[in-house]
Amino acid sequence: MSDVDGPGAPAPATAGSGASAGAAPGGRGRGLQMPKGRAQWLELLFRFQSLFGLLAVFIAAIVFSPARNGELLFLTTENLANIVRSVSEIGIIAVGMTFVILIGGIDLSVGALVGLAASGVAVLLMENDYGVVPAVALVLLIGTAFGALQGLISSRLAVQSFIVTLAGLQVARGLARIWAEGQGVPLAYGSGKGHAPESFSVLNERLLGLLPVPALIFITVGAVAIFVLRRTTFSRHLYAIGGNERAARLSGVPIGRIKVAVFAISGFLAALAGIIHAGQLNQGSPNDGAGYELDAIAAVVIGGTSLFGGRGTVAGTLGGALLLGILNNILALNNVDANVQLLIKGLVIVAAAALLTLRSSND
Amino acid sequence: MASAAPLLEMRGIAKSFGGVRALRGVDFTLAHGEVHALLGENGAGKSTLINVLSGVFPDYEGGVEIDGRPVEFHQPGQAQAHGVATIHQELDLVPDMSVAENLFLGREPRDRLRLVDRRRMHREAKALLERAGVTVDTGRSIRSLRVGERQLVEIAKALGLEARIIIMDEPTSALADVEVEQLFRVVRDLRGQGVGVIYISHRLEELEQIADRATVLRDGSLVGTVDIAGTSRREIIGMMVGQPLQDLFPKGEATAGEDLLVLEDFTLAPRRPRPGRAEPRGVTLRVRRGEIVGLAGLMGSGRTELLETLFGSGSPGTVEGTAALEGRPLDASSARRALAAGIGFVPEDRKDLGLVLGASISSNVTLAALQAFARGGLMRRQQANRAVDQSMSELSIKAPGRGTAVSALSGGNQQKVVFAKQLLTRPKLLLLDEPTRGVDVGAKAEIYRLLNSLAEEGLGILVASSELPELLGVCDRILVLRAGVVVAEMTAAEATQERLLEAATSSEPIKEAA
Repeated sequence: MSDVDGPGAPAPATAGSGASAGAAPGGRGRGLQMPKGRAQWLELLFRFQSLFGLLAVFIAAIVFSPARNGELLFLTTENLANIVRSVSEIGIIAVGMTFVILIGGIDLSVGALVGLAASGVAVLLMENDYGVVPAVALVLLIGTAFGALQGLISSRLAVQSFIVTLAGLQVARGLARIWAEGQGVPLAYGSGKGHAPESFSVLNERLLGLLPVPALIFITVGAVAIFVLRRTTFSRHLYAIGGNERAARLSGVPIGRIKVAVFAISGFLAALAGIIHAGQLNQGSPNDGAGYELDAIAAVVIGGTSLFGGRGTVAGTLGGALLLGILNNILALNNVDANVQLLIKGLVIVAAAALLTLRSSND
Repeated sequence: MASAAPLLEMRGIAKSFGGVRALRGVDFTLAHGEVHALLGENGAGKSTLINVLSGVFPDYEGGVEIDGRPVEFHQPGQAQAHGVATIHQELDLVPDMSVAENLFLGREPRDRLRLVDRRRMHREAKALLERAGVTVDTGRSIRSLRVGERQLVEIAKALGLEARIIIMDEPTSALADVEVEQLFRVVRDLRGQGVGVIYISHRLEELEQIADRATVLRDGSLVGTVDIAGTSRREIIGMMVGQPLQDLFPKGEATAGEDLLVLEDFTLAPRRPRPGRAEPRGVTLRVRRGEIVGLAGLMGSGRTELLETLFGSGSPGTVEGTAALEGRPLDASSARRALAAGIGFVPEDRKDLGLVLGASISSNVTLAALQAFARGGLMRRQQANRAVDQSMSELSIKAPGRGTAVSALSGGNQQKVVFAKQLLTRPKLLLLDEPTRGVDVGAKAEIYRLLNSLAEEGLGILVASSELPELLGVCDRILVLRAGVVVAEMTAAEATQERLLEAATSSEPIKEAA
């Protein structure tokens, strides 16, 4: 025992700390705090990765913005409002997708549900003489029920949501084609049979002549979702299921009910996006929304939500959606080829994914 | 020649992580054919020392010599080339590949066409398994093996890599006593072959049986190296905790009250019998308020299955016989119902079943009792925070704050989080499955104290454990299970390790419960 104290003592006095002690005291203090400060910065960067990304893209957009009459085109209120409007559909879907991904699931059916909702609402308004409120309510109900059914199948039969919603994608697209008889249904506003009520065109209006109505709906959806994820017991259940479903079950979390609710939310929001889509384009087609599911997943991933579930935020997703919108906008303003836009979008997604990996290895 | 220098000599090993010193100049030697125990509480630096030896870190301070020749360990490959093999707590085998495929993973024998020579692989695998003292078919998948068998396969794999230094990290924590005996036979055999074994374990009572010397670390520093033969367990514990430990098992003052849980002829008929699971059959038992009842038995004797069935998380099927909690029929068809009925459960595998590892202490502790901290579905955060802080101080959970991720905590603190979560549901009956697995000595003593004080408050506790001293130390009564059937029951006064083992291992045919 006595020989033990010997080797233990001298080790802590290493050359490194001795050398830095000789430097200016102020420098040494900063040097010692550096690692902690850097870790905190990294933590901050990770936590708000999409906001930092958003800021970077925003600044880049200002730098690269073409100017007309001494005014930066990118920064005109008109253009900024347009960006929010252009991401509103994907953004709304992405909010629902965030809930799904937080419990470790995925919803591939949302793009097809946009098609089903867009064509459905157009058919109801144009051909079935529905009023705006009943048509919208019915379509939202269909979307919600469709999502809930997918959640039910996924949890009852213990089938991965990837597979259930892959099937749901086909079914929703098929239903849309049957409903609209394979055709796009243009909306002609007016009164009487064969016309859509004038009030549906509110989706093309702007609040106070500035904020487009779809953007307003998007912002509202985002705000409600942020509140839900921060304050409710429901959100505690979501994060627990995504983090460790078995432990959540043993803690009395009603797994089945939560899954049904989450997919119902996703279906509801996809239907809402579909209705907005029909309103903005003045027509509903069963082929609308193709590939939207992937754009929504991209927004969620860029927003820092883990595809394995259990961690992520809606605020991140909103940032991710806006980032993609600004990127598209500035590339379009500079007349960059649409195909090149795709390449750049791909790079951004990879960069976000790399940041995520860095974060999990940092833990 | 070999005996002149020790097999392994590590001198002045030091390692820091971002300014935190994990190891401060530790010396460690391992002789040929020696089993050398490495001891210390969680966070003492055992893992760091082992990781240096396994080449996990690109840099460290100090020198390592093997057979008197200096070597560098900066990559796992270098350690492997020098014959160092580690058998981890979480086994490194691919579950859905066969035993032989695992033994030769990455170095499969090839035939002339450069294809895998399966026949030779199985033949050589069989020879390796024999050296490791295990007889399993080389074509079976790892998944189908018991934990004890998997561990022996790991040892065979190490032998196949011509390992001369084998590091065993908590090898017996998941083994039943019979399997432990088998493992020890293999380790003694390795010792005879000149292999050096570094043995990490929290089960101090094993050391006398298996280890020659023990090195104790505390807070990253070397406390000392002692011969096992001349050192008592109490002395070793004293070295580990830094102060003489009071009795590890405080005896509680609780007196048993009225009946809490009563099972009569309790049987689970599973919808689909699952291999390797011994479902409860004809179990009759009672747990009174303030009483701690133990469940003993070998691995696969049905301890876990009984607890899971009571908690509604066991195999799906029909329950026969009667189960009553406080005189009312117990509906344990799901964990949710069991919790509502006043039952808490601390499962065996805390990482898989007990915790959401990536989430904060706060989220974990409140998860099972969220309704108590909510109004109209909205969280009342201040109330929840206060309850969490109180739990953390009551159970002395050591962490920077309630927002700390559970994954960053030591095993003992993680286990306390699981306890805190269950206690917030205000249970009347606690079911505990291996409550101190992978937990250091200090935390163990704290958990035992907690059990005693809970019993004093009138909780009934049913605790399953494969550590017999633990059951003997904390329980008022102990039941022994075999194949899902209660084969013996004794009071704390009657029970000894020998009697419990005898009942658990007896080969007498089990008579159906009367």
